[in-house]
Amino acid sequence: MSHVPVIAIVDDDEAMRDALSELIQVMGFSTEAFDGAAAFLADLAPGRFDCLITDVRMPGMDGIDLQRRLRALGSVMPVVMITSAPDPAGRARALQGGACAYLAKPVDDCALLGHLRSALGQDHRPGGRRDEDDSPGG
Amino acid sequence: MSETLPSAGESDPGIVLEIDALYRRSPYWELDAADARTFVSAVPPGGEPRQANWSGEVLARSRVVDVNERAAHLVGALDGREEMIGRPIAEFWPPDSHDDLAELIAAVVTDPSPHATRTRDIASLLLQDPVLTVWRSPESGADTVFATVKGAMIDRRSYWSLRASEDRYRKLIHHMPNPLLRVDARVMGRVFERLRAEGVGDIDAYLDDHPELIAFAEQSVRITEANPAAAALFGVRSPADLIGSVECLFKASPETARRVTIAHFDRRRSHAEVMKLRTLDGRLLDVQIAVTFPTPPEQLDVTVIGLDDLTDRLRTEAQLRQLQADITRAARISTLGELATSIAHEVNQPLAAIFTNAETSLRWLSRDEPNLVKVVQLTTRIVASARHANEIVHRIRAMTSKHAPELLPLDLNDVVDEALLFLRHDIESRSIRLSTRLGLGLPRVIGDRVQLQQVIVNLLVNSVQAVAQADTRDGRVELSTGLGPGGEVVFVIRDNGPGIPEDDLDRIFEGFFTTKEEGMGLGLAICQSIMAAHGGGIAASNRPEGGASFRLWLPAEPEPA
Repeated sequence: MSHVPVIAIVDDDEAMRDALSELIQVMGFSTEAFDGAAAFLADLAPGRFDCLITDVRMPGMDGIDLQRRLRALGSVMPVVMITSAPDPAGRARALQGGACAYLAKPVDDCALLGHLRSALGQDHRPGGRRDEDDSPGG
Repeated sequence: MSETLPSAGESDPGIVLEIDALYRRSPYWELDAADARTFVSAVPPGGEPRQANWSGEVLARSRVVDVNERAAHLVGALDGREEMIGRPIAEFWPPDSHDDLAELIAAVVTDPSPHATRTRDIASLLLQDPVLTVWRSPESGADTVFATVKGAMIDRRSYWSLRASEDRYRKLIHHMPNPLLRVDARVMGRVFERLRAEGVGDIDAYLDDHPELIAFAEQSVRITEANPAAAALFGVRSPADLIGSVECLFKASPETARRVTIAHFDRRRSHAEVMKLRTLDGRLLDVQIAVTFPTPPEQLDVTVIGLDDLTDRLRTEAQLRQLQADITRAARISTLGELATSIAHEVNQPLAAIFTNAETSLRWLSRDEPNLVKVVQLTTRIVASARHANEIVHRIRAMTSKHAPELLPLDLNDVVDEALLFLRHDIESRSIRLSTRLGLGLPRVIGDRVQLQQVIVNLLVNSVQAVAQADTRDGRVELSTGLGPGGEVVFVIRDNGPGIPEDDLDRIFEGFFTTKEEGMGLGLAICQSIMAAHGGGIAASNRPEGGASFRLWLPAEPEPA
């Protein structure tokens, strides 16, 4: 495979943003980090990113709104949401909006890798099944 | 009491001359003592059985023939001179010297000499060192006696009005709810005069060298009168039990005796302080002692000591302070409780970064060729995040811990930043726009960091809740710091919520006033008491364009001299 998938990371917390970038790089992906939804949208171009990992709660536009904008723009880019305050209502909103996963901070690296591979269609695990908890409507 | 007995049977022209002169200046009575003489002959003063009211009987039988205006003014004010004529002298003569007058009349009327004269020092409220003279004149017959009193006037009022005011004074003292002692400290007045004559000017230094003077004062200065409230304070049955030396006052506070002595020497009008008092039944009280020294022309034997039992008040004050501290702390913790989500987020953020960096490090380390450069970089970040988390925990602990207020020079901008720590997440999660304009180069303020943080957190919570309640898409909270017109440091928080109902504006700082269903109504009351304790203040207003505005001000740290 010649194309290294590019993962966009949006988080207003610098330490978290850098940590996620490093983790995803060591997993073998390429990353682009943004400190907010606005910066990400400004840089968005068709085919530029293969997946988006975004924090849910952020000043200005939050993760849920960002996903809504993305879908409104016609993007089908897989979205992984990460939050430090997970709650059922937030999960429902995220998944109904088309997120492929809704994860609590701190994220388990193996779970994140699984979700990324699955989102990118690289899932080599038998049956290619997603984590039950993270499936839409699950 | 001395009695001068002139030689009987001899006319003394000196006395007569003196009496003529006295007639104009001194009170003068002419009495018809015929009945008195009959009575005295039957019942002599030293005879048995002496009647209980012998003096009264003598005076009842001595009728007024004439008085001069002076005498009428002095003792007859109630009736006037005309009304006194023909009445018994008993009705007008001051009771203090009834015995003296009766005994002198008896001596004169029973003296065979036509010039019989008797003189005696008597006690009087009106006259200084009064001398009573009773005599008979050969011209006026055996039954007529004259009386006069010589002595400088102490008081221009008449005996009866003075007597009435003395009575009022005694009743007042007696019924006064405050413990009062009347003290005779004249002995010290004389000691001080002598010391001054010897050239002593610095009583403080003198007492250092002669501590025995204080012991002497405590023993020789005497309580001459006490009221029932004083008896109750000292735990004795009757005020009479307190009569004696003032020693009992200073058992638990010897230094007070010293300071009272110094005040007296320095001719100060009064001295007051709070001291410990050991009562005669063994209790230890906190009392306010107020000593008022007499100054001429007041009677020099009347030093008044007022005592006020502060024990309950001081205890209540201490309890109130404790209670206030507890409430302040409880309010702080409850505010923190409201902010739990925000705080959890704040702490979780660095923890999540640490977690993720650690996972990444493990992945680098588990490779066949570990990338140690990466691991060092990630571990450095882990340390930074851990330090950050630690600081947050410290701040929260400082907010919840019991601590005595610590007044230190502070940058108010730092306090605002720290307060924001607790709320940034709350504000962000509600999509409220927060703008902060912190003044540059502001003078520092003197204050307790945690308490001021609490005030700002409280105001921030109120604003955020007000804006959230208004449910606008465009919620805004603006913070600013700057310099006030009087050089004070000012913090202002504005929001675009619903504002404060005009009727409530005056009441929002009152304790237990709340418009929130679950609020205790203590937040703003505590804010106000904290600001007052800092020498600053807090004010609320509504903005013309809508929303509330709160303003805090604190005095700037004084420039080093």
